[in-house]
Order: sequence, then C-alpha cells, then structure tokens
Amino acid sequence: MRNPLADVPVPLLDDLIDDEYVRSLVVGVVGTLGLLGLFGLLFPGSVAGDLAGIVFSTSTAASTARLAAPIVLAGLGGIFAEKSGVINIGLEGLLIISAFASVYVASVVGIGNAVLGIPAIWIGFMAGIAASTLLAGVFGVVCIEFKADQIIAGLAVWLIALGLAPFMSTVFFGGVNTPNLGANVGWRYSAVMVVVATVASWWALNRTAFGKHLEASGENPKALDTVGVSVSRVRYAGVLLSGVLSGVGGSALALSIGQFVGSGETMVQGKGFIAIVAYLFGNYNPLGTLGAGVLFAGLDAIQIRLQQLGYAVPDTLVQTIPYVVVIVVLALVGRTRLPAAAGDHYETEE
Amino acid sequence: MSGRDGGRLPAIVRRVLEPFVDRSVAERVLISLAAILLSIGVGFAIVLVSGRIAQCSTAAWTMPVTGLGFCYDPIEVYVVLFNGALGYPFAVGEPGIFNAAWTPFNLSFGLTLSETTLLVFTGLSVAVAFRAGLFNIGTQGQLVVGALATALTVLAIAPLLPAGPIAGVVVVAVGTLAGAVGGGLWGAIPGALKAYADANEVITTIMLNFVAANVAYVLVLEVFRAEGSSVVATRYVPEYAQFRPWLFPNSSDFALLALLVAVGFIGGLYYAVEHTPFGYDLRTSGVQAAAAEYGGVNAKLTTVRAMTLSGALGGVGGAVWVLMSEGRWIESVPDLGFDGITVSILAGNNPLGVLPAAFLFGLLKGGALEIGFRTDVPTELVGVLRGLIILFVAMPEFFRMAGRYAGLGSDGPGGPGTSGTGGEDGESEASGDAAGSGSDAAAVGGGEADA
Amino acid sequence: MNPAVHLDGITKRFPGVVANDDVDLEIERGSVHALLGENGAGKTTLMNVLYGLYRPTEGTVVVDGEPRSFASPRDAIDAGIGMIHQHFMLVDPMTVWENVVLGNEPRTWGGLRVDEATAREAVVELSERYGFDVDPDARIADVSVGVQQRVEILKALYRGADVLIMDEPTAVLTPQEVEELYDVFEELTDQGKTIIFISHKLGEALSAADEITVLRDGVKVGTVASADVTREELAEMMVGREVLMEPATTPREPGERVLEVTDLHVEDDRGVEAVSGISFELREGEVLGIAGVDGNGQSQLAEAITGMREPASGSVDYFGEPMAGVSRREHIDRGMAFVPEDRHERGLVMSYDLVQNGILGSQHDPPFASGGRIDWNASTEHAESVIEAYDVRPPNPDADAEDFSGGNQQKFIVGREFERDPDLVVAAHPTRGVDIGSTEFLHDRLLELRAEGKAVLLVSSKLDEVQGLSDRLAVIHEGEFSGVVDPATVTEEEIGLLMAGETLDDETVSGAAIHDAVDDGLDGSGADGADGTGDPDDAGGSDRETATDEEVGA
Repeated sequence: MRNPLADVPVPLLDDLIDDEYVRSLVVGVVGTLGLLGLFGLLFPGSVAGDLAGIVFSTSTAASTARLAAPIVLAGLGGIFAEKSGVINIGLEGLLIISAFASVYVASVVGIGNAVLGIPAIWIGFMAGIAASTLLAGVFGVVCIEFKADQIIAGLAVWLIALGLAPFMSTVFFGGVNTPNLGANVGWRYSAVMVVVATVASWWALNRTAFGKHLEASGENPKALDTVGVSVSRVRYAGVLLSGVLSGVGGSALALSIGQFVGSGETMVQGKGFIAIVAYLFGNYNPLGTLGAGVLFAGLDAIQIRLQQLGYAVPDTLVQTIPYVVVIVVLALVGRTRLPAAAGDHYETEE
Repeated sequence: MSGRDGGRLPAIVRRVLEPFVDRSVAERVLISLAAILLSIGVGFAIVLVSGRIAQCSTAAWTMPVTGLGFCYDPIEVYVVLFNGALGYPFAVGEPGIFNAAWTPFNLSFGLTLSETTLLVFTGLSVAVAFRAGLFNIGTQGQLVVGALATALTVLAIAPLLPAGPIAGVVVVAVGTLAGAVGGGLWGAIPGALKAYADANEVITTIMLNFVAANVAYVLVLEVFRAEGSSVVATRYVPEYAQFRPWLFPNSSDFALLALLVAVGFIGGLYYAVEHTPFGYDLRTSGVQAAAAEYGGVNAKLTTVRAMTLSGALGGVGGAVWVLMSEGRWIESVPDLGFDGITVSILAGNNPLGVLPAAFLFGLLKGGALEIGFRTDVPTELVGVLRGLIILFVAMPEFFRMAGRYAGLGSDGPGGPGTSGTGGEDGESEASGDAAGSGSDAAAVGGGEADA
Repeated sequence: MNPAVHLDGITKRFPGVVANDDVDLEIERGSVHALLGENGAGKTTLMNVLYGLYRPTEGTVVVDGEPRSFASPRDAIDAGIGMIHQHFMLVDPMTVWENVVLGNEPRTWGGLRVDEATAREAVVELSERYGFDVDPDARIADVSVGVQQRVEILKALYRGADVLIMDEPTAVLTPQEVEELYDVFEELTDQGKTIIFISHKLGEALSAADEITVLRDGVKVGTVASADVTREELAEMMVGREVLMEPATTPREPGERVLEVTDLHVEDDRGVEAVSGISFELREGEVLGIAGVDGNGQSQLAEAITGMREPASGSVDYFGEPMAGVSRREHIDRGMAFVPEDRHERGLVMSYDLVQNGILGSQHDPPFASGGRIDWNASTEHAESVIEAYDVRPPNPDADAEDFSGGNQQKFIVGREFERDPDLVVAAHPTRGVDIGSTEFLHDRLLELRAEGKAVLLVSSKLDEVQGLSDRLAVIHEGEFSGVVDPATVTEEEIGLLMAGETLDDETVSGAAIHDAVDDGLDGSGADGADGTGDPDDAGGSDRETATDEEVGA
C-alpha cells in the first residue's frame, strides 16, 4: 500500500527528510492547516472561521508552545536513548523530577536574587536539568551496569519521581503543590528551546559520528564493539542525553507557570508517555517528533480555546486522540520499527 | 536408573515442592527480600536527609554520637508503618511489647487486607501475561473497563431480582463475570494487535490505559452519572449485591470472602500455569518462543489467550473494587493496575509469590495512612518506597555482584550454586563426558560459531 | 623476511577443555593460508587468540617478527590484523560507506560533522584498488551477502589491515560469489596482503589456499602446501582415523509413499527464496539423504516439510494428503518427528528440566496430558526412558537442559523424536556435536527405524554420514537438487562437485538414476526428480567448472 502523501514533492525538505513516512506527516499537517486557513478566510463566520481564528492566534501559539515543550523535548531525549538501545519508558519520571527541582531551586535562591549574575529562575532551570540528568544516570547504571530489565527500570523511574516530587514538596512547602514563584519563563523561550533542540538533535543524529555510533549501538552493538567503540559509553551518552532533554522539558513546563503541581499524576499528567508516542509517531526523526508533539499539544490548546468560545467539545475525548492515533499507526501502518537491539543487554566478549 | 536415591517421592509431589527447593526460585526470593531491605535503607536515608532540611521547632530524632537533630524520626516511621498497618499489635512507643487490646479485626488491618485483596488480582493479571513473555502494562485500563462493566451490569440486573442473599450471590457472580469479560476483551485488543499486526504490547497497553480511563470517564459523565452526584460516578449498587465486610469494621471496605476468592484464584492460576498443557504452552512461549513453535504451540493464539486471561484477571480486580471497596464506579480509580506490575515483579511472576508481595504492598498502603496520622513525615514516602522496591527488584545482577563481593562466591544469593540439587553428580558426570567427546566440548567452550 | 604471522606454541584452555594445545603456525606474507579442521577442532579459538578476543593460556603471538600481547581486538587492529567473522558485523540500516568507516569516521567542522566526502572517497578508492564492485551509498540491508562480505573486507582494509582472518568465508556464499571471493584473494595477495581463512571443506582449502594447516581436537596435525597434497591425504589428516560407516545393506522393500514434495518453493526469514522448486518422494523404509553446504536451503526445506514454515508455492503431500495450511501441532500429531538443527533455540527449552523437555510437542497428548492436566509421573518415566536408552549423561531428568553438554542435549532431542513412534523422521544434523561412540549408536537407531518401515529424511553436512545411511542421496545447491545419486557407487569427488553446483557427466547421473529407478522397482517421480533437477543445471553450470577442481580430481 503506497502512501499518496509521500509522493508530494517538498523542494526544501527533500534533502532533509529521506523518510517518506515523515514526509507524508509534514505534508499532511501543512496541507490541513493550509486548507483550514483558506476556509477560515473564505467563511469567516463559520466553525471553520472560528477554528482558523483559534489556530492562528497568538494565545493558541503560546499555549501550544507551553504544552508542546515537555512532549517534544522528552521525545527527543527518548530518541537518543532508544536509538542507543536503551528503551527509556521513564521519561515521565524525568519530567516530573525536573519540574519539581526547577521550581524548588528557584524558590530557594529566591526570585529577584541571582547567582553569578544568573537570575534565580534560570538557576532553577539548570537545577531541573541536573536533577533529571542525575535520575537518568541512575537509570543508565541500573540498565547498563546491572543489566536490569529496561521496561521495569523505566517504570521504577516514573514511580520514584511520582512519589519523590510530592514528598519533597510536602517536606519543603507543606503541600504537594508548591506555592507560585510569581515569575515565569515566557512561552517564546520554550518555543525557541524546542526548535533549537530539534534542529540540534537532528544534526547530532544524522551528521555526527556520535549519531552513527548511536545507531550502530542500537542496531548491532557487536559491530560497534568490534571496531573499538565502547557500546556502554555510547549507551550512557544516549541515556544521559534523554535526561538532559527531558530536564529542559520538565523545567520549561513548570517554570512557564512558575509552580509545581504535585497532586494526582502531577502537572506532567502523562506527557512523558505522550512523548514516547510522539517519537514513535515521528519514526525516531526529530523533525517528525516536533511535528507530532506540536500536533498533540496544538489539539489540546485548540480544544481549550474552543471550550472558552462555548463549543461543547468533550475535552477528555480530544485528549484521547493521540493515544488512539498511535495504536492505529502501530497496528495498521506498522512503520515503527524499534532498533534491532533495543532492550537487549550487551556484553563484550571475555 | 542407578545413582538416584531409592526412596523417591512421587513425581507429582516433587513437582509441587519443586518451586520451593528450586535454586532459581530461592534466588528470586532472596533478591526480593534484599530489594525490600535495600529500599527500606534508602528510604531511611531519604527520611533523614529531608528531616534535616525540613523546618521544625523540636527535633524528633537526634542522631547518636553526632548530636545532630532531625525533624523526622526514621525509626519511628517504619515502626508506625508496619505496626500501624496491622492495627498496632505492639504497643506504640514500646516496640516489642504486645498490645493486649489488639484483635486482628481492626480497621487498619482491614484496610491493609482490602488493598492486598485487590492487588492479588492485578498482580496475577500482570504475572500471567509475563509468564507468556508479554509485558502487560495495561492492567490498569483493564481494571477500569472491568469495573465499569461490573457496575453497569449489576445496576442493570439487580432490579430484575428480588432483593435478598440469594439474589446477592447471583448478582455478585454475574457482576464479577461481567468484569472479567470487560477486562478480558480490553486485554484481548493489545493481544490481537501483537499477534496479528506485530504492534509492541508495551506501547499499546500504555496507550489503552489512557483510552480506557478517558472513555470510561466520558461514558459515566455523559450517560451513567448518578443524579445529584458531585463527583463523576455511577449510582451505588444495592448493598446485598456487594462483598460484605464480615468480622471487620464496615469502614475498612474489606470482605474476607473476597480475599478467599483471591486466594482461590492464586491456587487456580498456579495450577493452570504449572500443571496443565495450556500453562505449558504459555510458559514455553514466554521463555523460548521458537521452541514453543517447534513444540506445536500456536504463538499468535497463545498471545491473544494470555492477554485475554490477563485482562480478565484485571477486570475481576475491577469488579472486586466496585463490589467491595466503592460500591459504585467512581472516576478516581486507584493505581491498582500499576501496583500490580510491582507486585508481580516482586513475586517473580509466580502466582504463589503474588500473595506475600500483595500483602507487602497492602501493608505499605495501610501504613501510609498511619504515617499521616501519627508522624509529620509526608505519606508520599510510601510512593517512593514502592518505586525503589521495583527498581531494586529489576536489577538482580546488582545483588549477584554484591553477593560475590561479600565473599559468598558463587554460592551467594545470586550465584548459580554449585551445591544445588543434583549439581554435584552432574558436574562429575559432565566432566567425564567432556573428556569422552573432546571436540564437542571444545566446540562449546571455544565458541566455534558454527557449532 | 619475517613471516607475517607466527603463532608460537599457543595453548588455550577453557575450564575443563583444552581448545588449542601447543599450536605452532607460520604464515608467509602475501600468501593464502587455510586453517582446516572439523567443527570443534579449535580453528576459531586459535584465530580469536590472534585477533585479541582471547588471550592465550600459553604461547606467543608474533606479528611481523615482533612479539605481541593483545588485550583486545583494538590492539590487533593496530598491529594490522583484521578479522571477518562468519556472522558479519554490519549495521543493516546504514550505508556501505557508513559501515566501512564506523568508529574511524573522518570529521570536519571541529568534529561536529562526519566528512562524508572524504569517507566516501576513501571507500571508493579502496574498492577500486582491489577491484571490488561496491556502491558506497547502498544500504547494507539491500545488498547481497557477497557484497556484505566485501564491505567487511573493506572495513578491515580501511583500518590498515595487512593480515585478514576470515572465518568460514564461503559458508554463506553462492558458487559464483565463491569464485569472486577467490579473485579477491588473488587481488589482495598480489598487493602484499596476507589471508588466513578458516574452513572445514577440503575442496575449498585445496583450490584457494597456498598452504593448509590441519587442526584436530585442538592439536596441529600438520602444515602442507596445497600443491603437494591430495584430497584423501587431507581427509585423513582431518578425521584422524578412517570412520567406516556400515552401509545400509538390508534389502529395501519399498513401502507406501509417505511424503511427496512437488515443486516446492520456500522463502527464508528475509523473504529471499531459499528453496527453489524441489520435488521428491519418500517411501516407508527408505532413507533419503540430503547433502550440501550449509545455507543452501536445506534448513528451510526441512522446516517446510515439518510445518514450521509456510511454503511460498508448491506442495507437500503426506500419506497422500496435502499439508498446506496444516498447523505445526497437527504435523506432530500425524506422526512427523523433527530433529531441528538448532538445539538451543528450538529443540530444547534451555531453562526446563528434561522431564518438561521430554514432552515438548506432546504436551497435549496422552499419556502426558490427561484430564486437562499434565501427568508428571508419566512425563518423568518418559524422560527417564529416553535418558537411559540414549545414554544421556548425567542421567538426571530433573536437571535443566542448559546444564547438559551439547552432545548430551542432542542425544536427548534425537531420543525424544525417535521414540515418538513417528511415520516420518526429518533429522537435521542429528549427530552434530555428538561423540563418536554415541554417533554410531544414533546411526544404528536410525537404521532400525528404517527397518521398522519408517521414512527418514536425513539432512547432514557430514558426507560419510549421509553416504553411509542413505538409500538415495540428494545433493542440494542453492535451493535446488543438483543431483540425486546412489550413495553406494558415488565418489566423494562427485558429491563435492554436486555440492559446488556442478553436474556430473551424463553417464554418472543417468547411471545413478537408473540404479535408483531399478532399485525402487516402480516409480517415476523419484527418478524424474533426479533427472528433472539435473538437466537444467547441466545446461547452466557445466561451463563454469574450475581448473583447480580438475587438477585436484586428477
């Protein structure tokens, strides 16, 4: 079954995207948005008009960027880990821990204060990254050194963070939700970070020697080992990068509103799992992951705006769309192929 | 057969006893215990550290020698946790002294057992899929669907029967069956997707959890919501159609009967997995799919069956949650499915291990409430402990290394002990054989790729 | 001039096993050296020592006159040694050039970018210098096995290898690719490279190598120049003693037709056709041997017949009934026994004890399954009887399969399958890894089955085995029968030619076929099969006969 969307020529992207699946994704999204804009312009009073107004409004862009940042960044991180052969299902936990740590450290430093000339909020931001990277490091040691089952260890990372963040919040602030910092990181920062991280990830994966080593490590670690590159090292790098990127995402999420919410599933609310969906949907391509992440976050943002305009959209059902989509994609399209050695331990001979 | 002891037990008895003497099972138990202890140790450290950082007027605990004061007393936390979960069989503050007023039928212990009962079902659900080599992370969703199916079925058929104990038995049975069917169908979806579309079950089950939660929520919100209810929930099922809390206080939401049913399920599932042809197919698919196929096992069908059975067990868990704990379907479904993963892993995916593992997590749940009442330590600590236990259980290699480090050699907790049953004579025989077939042994030892 | 490589008194011990015992080896620069021996003779171990994968227990590795101590392959690579493993170490989704430079990528932009242009150029340059025809931008997954092998050679050359070790380089190649490989050898040695290749095939060593070293049971038997040695002498060096097979002398009473395979086409896991139109029939009380180089489709053929693999086209009829779409379990239930070639993957569940392994395939059948449960008493008795009858050691049914040595595992599998009371036995390499005494026992059992009127399809790469046990011998090559011969009259050279895809001259073929048909008494399709598959090959392959083979024959 040939996908007609894949045949549409995309002059600028041809060099960048050789994967026809990702291409059809890009073409599909751009096409839908274009049609929507067209209808919106032609029939300003209709539903399409309202929808177009929402889709192309700044506030939607802002909330999309805010919601997409953790999804896309954690998704990019997930690519690095999984490409290297370590399935990191604990992205959710990394987001949670970094969201909390960023707010905590920012509040300890105190908004208005600065360390070495860096404002507290950015100190908090870096602390979030550090916390997430640390937890990813633990995960890496457990998986690579102690040969733990990656899925179970990933679940453990999630559960630990899910317990630890509200626990710490209660210890320090007396409740599972932290008080609001009264300052935040603007959505434009999130948007810039997402774009920069996506482009940088694409470059790292496709143009650097490290990217080749990552791919070899996940596809045929023995091939990498026999040419003298340490598989463990490459895998550690992949896992730690997933920590760094998730840390950026988690910090951006919490600091964009200046608060950590720790009740229930915490403010992360499954975005780490959606991130997995996003990179699978994007077929391990950072650009595809960006597209999928923005699509899911955008749907959410549009749905919120529609509610505000009085359209009775069952929000819960809209939130269900990405999950259903990924199941359908996995089942019907079946394009997503995990790296051949993902999930397997690797040991050098003798 | 020479060389084998004459007074041998009948094969069936040895089969039944084997799991308890098998060295890999013994190793499993040791690792689980070590993981629990290590988690408690790490939790101890977390309590200490956070107790040093937290603000309080008087120190709850002072470290010997150093004189450092801490806001939280880590020893007290654990004493309260385990003592409290049992309803204080030991006098508070004086550990070791039996509390004369204690009976097992107290509220706290009831809560602990209630949680234990529910976790048995979800633990079995995860375990049975695991044994077939399938990672069912979707027990949560299967439980949600099963619970809704039970609630709706019971609400639908209860009015058709005269109220009373007999009707109660019928309604509970039918309701539980409905839960099993609902959960089973929901579990069959990822099973079929895995078997016929090669879709990774880890991903699909995670996704189906969200779908189940959202769809059930919308269904109840829009269609089945009880009138005047402030939360999103169905109507209550009639009281006679619930598992009743004999002996235990009403508010404990614990029915001994449900626990007995759970234990029955453990026995049944253990038997099915270990001693029936179906179980043989299932296990063989799990440990070595290629050999199972060679042995005539239909891999696709086994995958669907295992996931359906797993989902059905999760669904029964949901039924018991409705018919014992809540009396209705309510949106705030606890994370019983996810805890089931922890229980199953701690149990080494052995149905018989599910009971103690579920009880441990029941204790943590029951004890968490007591920690909230009696100490200043946030109850979320229990969540951290849960995560730590699963993390440590996931890394048996760590404990094997630790065992070797501690000088226990290959006999350590992890070592594939050379003194195991039958290993001794096996070794001498094997070396004699190696001498006889030098080339073959060399092929194995020397790693000839084509051997 | 120093020899390129000098292995001085290498001994390698593993716990309980001496894999190499005081092996001396000198290899001249610019020569092709074959390391010949049976499976398990210690060839690969010796080369792993040279490549730094294993450290020798005793002895020294001397490269170019300099004693070396390799801690890892990295050190060996630095000393100019490259190894091409039997299973290629290539990353499938990556391109040829990416694989060649993997780990040693030229970089630009301060290391932030792989210098594709330089890398590709280097690959093209190397490829041209040695006359390889390789597209640097092709994906590994899309190119043939022969090309993949050349990529492996390029990898080694790119890393500056002067000595190339190749483990069973022809095992996965077609004859054309083998010829091309020999050309590559020549090109490489002309330019001063040294090649050591591991092999267990006489003809290959004779035709490709300048010198041949024979190993047996870890000990070096000798080194000879290939020009000065005959095939028979080499064979004796390899085997040590003349393994005399009792030929199947009992008169045959052709019984009912058990199996009829018609124009069978089967694909392998990658979707590549592995069996290309095989037809034959097999009768009660008959042993059909299938000889051939590993990887010529015999595995897929056996799997298709036993219901493990759905054929792409063609039919398998069993007692006259078509077996298309019939489940694997049904195959077992209808009396097909199958000794699979891969005992660790399929034949045994490694973590189960022998009691549980003994019922693999019969877990739903009485007496092991009764009333919906497994009867462990019956299962244990069964395991014990197999263990006793087939001399599985140690005789402990409660020990896990993984705790047994390879030979004992194999004996248990063969025992389990033979004792199934089958009508058809498909045995793939039934004696692989089994010691000589037990091998003879298994052969006797096989002949007993034949005498009991069972049909037996015997796949083996051991020539003496298939020749000694079979009533008819089919030689498989590239998924087709290159000939069906009478094992009693055919010579080893003739089988060798058939295995290489050559055809025998008309007299021999027709002689065998006539003999076959006469012996069969009746029948068309058996002889037809022989002729039918023989003829096209005759046309296609005869002009490609190699001069070397001719010389050897003479």
